[in-house]
Amino acid sequence: MRMSDLIARLMSERRALVWLGVAALAIICIAILVTRIEIDSDVINMLPKGFRSVDGLKIFDRDFEQTRELTFALRCQPQDVDKLEEFAPQFADNLRKQPWCERVLAGSPMETPEGIRDLQTIAVPLLLNLEPAAFDQAISILQPDKIRERLHRMRLEIEAGSPRPQFELGFDPLGVISPAFKPFAAASAIEQEQPLTSPDRTMRLFLVVTNQPSLSAFDCQRLMRQVNAFRAEAVQGWGGGHLDVLVTGRSAYVSEISLSMRYDIVATLGSSVVLVGLVFFIGFRRWIPLFGMGFALLLSCLVALAVGLLVFGRLSMLAIGFCAILVGLGVDFAILIFGRYQQARIDGEEYQHSIATSVAKLGRAVFFGALTTAVGFLALALSGSMGFSQLGVLIAIGIFFAGLFMCTILFLFIRPEQPPQQHDWVFDIVKKYVRWSVKRPGPMLTFSVVLFVALSAVGFSPVPPLRFEASVRSLEPRNSRASQALQAIMAKMPTRWEPVLAIVRARDAQELHDDWQKISAHWSELQKAGKLKGFSTPAALCLSPNWMEENRQSLGKVDLQTARQTLEQTLDTEGFTRDAFSVAFRLLDDLQAVANPAAPLPDWRKQLPKGAGWWFLVDRYFAKDPLLTTGFATTTAPVTTHEQSEELGRELPVTGVPMILSGWSYALADLQPWSHRQLLIISALMAIFDVSLLAVLYRDFRLWLIQVITLGFGIGAMIATMKLFGIHLNLLNVLSFRLVLAIGVDYGIYVVLVWQKTRELEHDVAGVIKPVILAGLTAVAGFGSLGWAHNPSLSGLGIACAIGIFWSLVATIFFTLPAMAAAKPKIWNESGSSQAI
Amino acid sequence: MRSPFLFVLMVLASLAQAQSLSQADVKNLLAQIRERRASAPNVRADFQEQKTIHLLNKPIVSSGKLWFRAPNKFRREVGGNSPSLTVSNGRDLWIYYPNFKSAEHYSLGKRSPVDAIIAAINTALNLENVENTFQISGTKAGGGYELHLLPRSPSMKRMFQRFDLRLNSDFVAERTEMVQPDGDQILTIYSNQSRAPIPESTFEFTPPAGTEVTSPLGR
Repeated sequence: MRMSDLIARLMSERRALVWLGVAALAIICIAILVTRIEIDSDVINMLPKGFRSVDGLKIFDRDFEQTRELTFALRCQPQDVDKLEEFAPQFADNLRKQPWCERVLAGSPMETPEGIRDLQTIAVPLLLNLEPAAFDQAISILQPDKIRERLHRMRLEIEAGSPRPQFELGFDPLGVISPAFKPFAAASAIEQEQPLTSPDRTMRLFLVVTNQPSLSAFDCQRLMRQVNAFRAEAVQGWGGGHLDVLVTGRSAYVSEISLSMRYDIVATLGSSVVLVGLVFFIGFRRWIPLFGMGFALLLSCLVALAVGLLVFGRLSMLAIGFCAILVGLGVDFAILIFGRYQQARIDGEEYQHSIATSVAKLGRAVFFGALTTAVGFLALALSGSMGFSQLGVLIAIGIFFAGLFMCTILFLFIRPEQPPQQHDWVFDIVKKYVRWSVKRPGPMLTFSVVLFVALSAVGFSPVPPLRFEASVRSLEPRNSRASQALQAIMAKMPTRWEPVLAIVRARDAQELHDDWQKISAHWSELQKAGKLKGFSTPAALCLSPNWMEENRQSLGKVDLQTARQTLEQTLDTEGFTRDAFSVAFRLLDDLQAVANPAAPLPDWRKQLPKGAGWWFLVDRYFAKDPLLTTGFATTTAPVTTHEQSEELGRELPVTGVPMILSGWSYALADLQPWSHRQLLIISALMAIFDVSLLAVLYRDFRLWLIQVITLGFGIGAMIATMKLFGIHLNLLNVLSFRLVLAIGVDYGIYVVLVWQKTRELEHDVAGVIKPVILAGLTAVAGFGSLGWAHNPSLSGLGIACAIGIFWSLVATIFFTLPAMAAAKPKIWNESGSSQAI
Repeated sequence: MRSPFLFVLMVLASLAQAQSLSQADVKNLLAQIRERRASAPNVRADFQEQKTIHLLNKPIVSSGKLWFRAPNKFRREVGGNSPSLTVSNGRDLWIYYPNFKSAEHYSLGKRSPVDAIIAAINTALNLENVENTFQISGTKAGGGYELHLLPRSPSMKRMFQRFDLRLNSDFVAERTEMVQPDGDQILTIYSNQSRAPIPESTFEFTPPAGTEVTSPLGR
């Protein structure tokens, strides 16, 4: 028994059994879904694997405290700047009282007495950590003569009216703190360029480290619910005009992205089902088969999702877009199969026989259609991006099941007693067009060639250029409040471009110190040579046990008791108050304590108070593991090209120091060749696969050539449309080209195969053109539905594919058909038969 | 140099004849000052200053000359054992110490702590925009006025705890007393005030050759 007959028999005689099987399959899939579903919402996981710059982003994202940082911004009207200044401390106090808040930075720690006091507490370890020659020079100020000379001069300068001695004595009364912090101040120069108040004073920033247990989607959502409740009440006590309370940061993004996933699923799948259903209904005006088609498609999605979960364990948020695509593509099979079934019924065949005919006649086309589409999507696995690989595999699985279900389960929803459609106005219009273009292909061929050549000329010419957007913004969610807050902050604050991150992990403290010393020295040379604008490293905070021991021995030789006596005497002589110098006496006590070789070496990490604002700076450099660190190199211009990233890759590393260069701008520049490779090589491979398959299928040079030209026209018109509508390529929507090639070729296959074998033009060609149009429109609707998604990767891919498939469909109907009629003419016979000329 | 005792006597004498000003009177007075400043933006005066700071046990007393042009240019020459020259052209502030052959350079308007110096001089000699940054009360005393300024804006609160000012009949400062948030106080007496034109070069400074120049706040 033929497969088509077996299917027809099962669907007509064993319906209960098939229903049981369908129910069992659905229950198994739902059980897998409920028990194993886990969604990966990390945007970094959409980037391809195997790039150190991407690995660096993941390390920075996972291991550094900065990822738990939220940035609050208060933005007022220009006339309220003084009120904002007055309100800011109140707002900061309110922030500190929030249960989710661990630390708040409301201004430079150097501008507050607490900030200076906190810095003074870590002076001793940083002093001991100086390079021994620098330490000896710094400590020499404790010689009695130098103490007397310094304070005398300070006294005279105060008398002369200088404000400097007051600042200096307030921060460093003994004269050893400033040298201790010199390397630290030099290393954190970049940070000083980032004030927390905008130049026009209408915006104030507050950095907050939260105490959320993890960066998981649910923890971020929970945190942001609390943060939003705080925002609603945070303006109480504000007496000015409109005041914006903006929030951005990793948690804000994760919360929004994860919440938008729900919207994306509902919006894309919902709109896809509605649009596809609408097209199907217009084509066939049947409700129950429409419902059956939807059921079969949802079952395909369910099966693909369950298999995907079993294969991958955890699904990327990007993969959720597969449902909408699958609906748009899978419906093609339903349209073809149901259309052929209808035709068989109109031709007078019985129910079971009509099923067998439709499966027998179109099973091959469905198989090849599913094959090319699946291969196109499986080619996404070559992208190296986990998100896109999963998307490709899920659709490939889904499309095969969709083909299978449309050839089987769909018939459960087609009643044997349902009479065939008598009048089909869509078919009538299509038939008229087919008749006209077959009889007189010249006019339509001329028109379509002119149109497509013009569009292809625009598409493939360098002018206007198709812009490639490699910025981080191209990957940010649309209408995101966190993104808008970031944009508002960037617009107000003095902007500087994102630095390149250099991530260094060491085995012990000494190695870490030595590594950063070498890096700092090397980067300093690069800065002098004009290759770097600036840099900032944790070198000063990486303690060297070797230097500290050596310096401790030097300190042991200093007579600290005499230094103390001299200080006391000089203060009295010069008329200074002793209270103002309490820090100096405490520092001498601390130095005396650490000079003892039996005492443990001091560690600034243990001495810096937990609530100190300086932790914001420290956390930029050190991960939770203190041996994992990062430095920041600011380039002379923003990193936007791969050449820049390559040059930095050559210049920044130091021999013998393992270093990962990263940062969003750097990583995206680093990925550009990958993206171009995806665009050119993988799309070219797909094109080669397509043209080879077509050659095998058609075994006719002229038909093959027409089909290849059709594909070229489709892609050319797609690029032209993207150029004319200002749709830029980005790292991810370049993947759309292979999909357009994979899906667009199907329409040609359906039409050309029928043209080759038909003996009844009206019956067969018009009969296939109608389903092809419907299938194309449903595919456009399916991909176009992704345009509703908030996820820019998903919406960008969907829009690009929808444009490409639309033009492939137009090219098939208005170029392929008249071109075939011109190249391989057949006589139109009103009675239905045709013959080759 | 007059003694602090004399200052106290002068203050007491003034208070004896004091007559409170209403808010309308204060507004009117400030309007008159604005008009006067517009017609004659230059002020030149001798000064005596007594500075009490928390770092030192005893106050520092100094005297010298001052040149000011609204809104923010000034030159201040201090004589005595520790002479100094302070010059501002509105953008930069130079403090030159002839004894040490050294000079300090500060850039103004970047929330620099030396902005307090400009703010003090500006408030005393210019009174520009004070109604927005201070809460002002006053009395009419003798031929002049006593104004008591309490900072209203946070930026002024960072620099002053209070600011008392005595103006003569030509609306030029005769005496100021400034208390800073850390408790430091500066009492200044002005004399020989004049509104004669001042050459532009007065507000420019170039360090003499061999001067060691530093930028203490180094921004």
